[in-house]
Amino acid sequence: MYKNKKTGLIGIIITIIILIIVVFISNMDNKNISYIENIFNSLVMPVQNGLVYLKNKISGNDSFFADVNSLRQENEELKKKNSELEQELREFEILKAENETLKEYVNLKDKYKEFETIPAYIINKDISNYSKNIIINAGSDDGIEENMTVIADKGLVGFVISTTPTTAKVQTIIDPSTSVSGLLGTSRDPIVVNGTIESDNTLKATFIPTDANLSQGDIIETSGLGGIYPKGIQVGKITQVVETKNITDRYAVVETSVDFDKLETVLVITNK
Amino acid sequence: MKKLISIVGIIIVFFLLYFLQSNFFSWFTIAGIKPNLFVIFILFIGLFATKKMGLIFGFLFGIFLDIVIGKNVGISGIVLGIIGYLGECLDRNFSKESRITIMLMVIACTIIYETSIYIFSIFANEAMIEVWAFIKILLIETIYNTILVIILYPLLQKAGYYLENAFKNKNILTRYF
Repeated sequence: MYKNKKTGLIGIIITIIILIIVVFISNMDNKNISYIENIFNSLVMPVQNGLVYLKNKISGNDSFFADVNSLRQENEELKKKNSELEQELREFEILKAENETLKEYVNLKDKYKEFETIPAYIINKDISNYSKNIIINAGSDDGIEENMTVIADKGLVGFVISTTPTTAKVQTIIDPSTSVSGLLGTSRDPIVVNGTIESDNTLKATFIPTDANLSQGDIIETSGLGGIYPKGIQVGKITQVVETKNITDRYAVVETSVDFDKLETVLVITNK
Repeated sequence: MKKLISIVGIIIVFFLLYFLQSNFFSWFTIAGIKPNLFVIFILFIGLFATKKMGLIFGFLFGIFLDIVIGKNVGISGIVLGIIGYLGECLDRNFSKESRITIMLMVIACTIIYETSIYIFSIFANEAMIEVWAFIKILLIETIYNTILVIILYPLLQKAGYYLENAFKNKNILTRYF
C-alpha cells in the first residue's frame, strides 16, 4: 500500500516506463541487439584482451610471438584461400537462388493455376497466445465452405474450420492443433508437419522415416493425403535437423513459406 | 438504475477490452507474448460485484470469445465463469485493499485459466504437448498481467467500489457488524 497519492502515481509511471522498455527490447530485431552487443563489447573487450595478455605473460605462454614471420606467411596463404572460397561460395549462392526461383516458379505458377480461388483479407487474428486462428472477410455467401484450403502467394496458410455468411474462421498451419501431411521436395519421403505454440513462423516436422535423408533447405510440400489440402502446395523449408538418441524421435524445424507476421491477403481454394 | 448502468458499463468495457486485445496488444507484446485482459476483467467483476455476476459474465463473455475466434465453443465460457466465481470466494477470504493480494490473485487466475485451456486443447484438438514452451509463455503472460494490474489498480479499485455499491450495498453492514 502506498502512503500517499503522489508516491502511488510515481510508482505507476515507473511501472509504465518499465513495461514499455521491456516490450521494445523483447521485440527488437536481432540486428539492433547485436548493435548494443557491439557497444558493450567495445567497452569490455579491451580490458578483457589486456587481462588475457597479462595472464599469458605470467604463465609463460608467450609462444604467440615466437615465430612472427612464419605466421605472417601462413596468414597470407590463408587469406588467399579464403578469398577463393568466398568466390566459390558466391557462385554457389547464385546457383542456389536461381534454382529456388525456378522451383518456386514451377510450384506456384503451374500448380496453383489449376485451382479456382477466392481472394480475401485477414480481418482478425487470434487473441490467445496458444492458438493461431485467423478470420477472413469472405464467407458462405462467397462460396466458402468448411475444410477448404487457404493459401497465400508463397504457400499454404491453413484450412477453413467454420463460416458465417460474410466471414470464415481459418485454422492456420502454425496452430499447435494442426498437422499437415507433407512430402520432402527432393527425396519424396513422407513427413508430418505440426504447428507449435512457441513460434509464429516455424513448424515441427515429425514421423520422419528412418531411412529418409534430410538436409537443410529441403522444401516441404503437401502430400495430398488426409483429404483437406491438395497435393503440391509449398509448406516451408527445413532450417534445422535435430538428431536424437533414438532415430525415430528425430525431428526437423521447418520455416514456413508464408510469413504469418506480415500476412494480409489469402486465397481460398474452392475446387478440390 | 445503478445496477443497469453497471451492467451496460461492464458490457461496453468488455468490447473495448476485446478490441484492445486483438489490435493494440497484438503488437504491444513482451517477446511476442500477449497479456490476457479478460482474466483480469472477470476476476474484478467477481471480486467487486457478486459471484453470480462473475459467473454469468465470465460464462457469457467466454462463450462470445469461443464463437468469434475459438475452435471449441464452451471451454473459455466455463473457465472464465469459474474465474468469476473464484473472485467472490477470494473476496471473502482476502483483502482487496492490498495491491500485493490482488497481484497474487491475478497470477493464480491467469495460471488456472491458461493451464485449463491448454490441457483442454491437448485432449480436444490433439495439440502437441510442449511443456517447456507452455511454461515459458505462461510465465511471461502472468508477469505481463501482473504489470498491467499494478498500472491499472487505482482505476480498477475505483470502478470496483462503484460496482460493489451497486450490487452489495445491503451486505456491508451485516458483514462487518
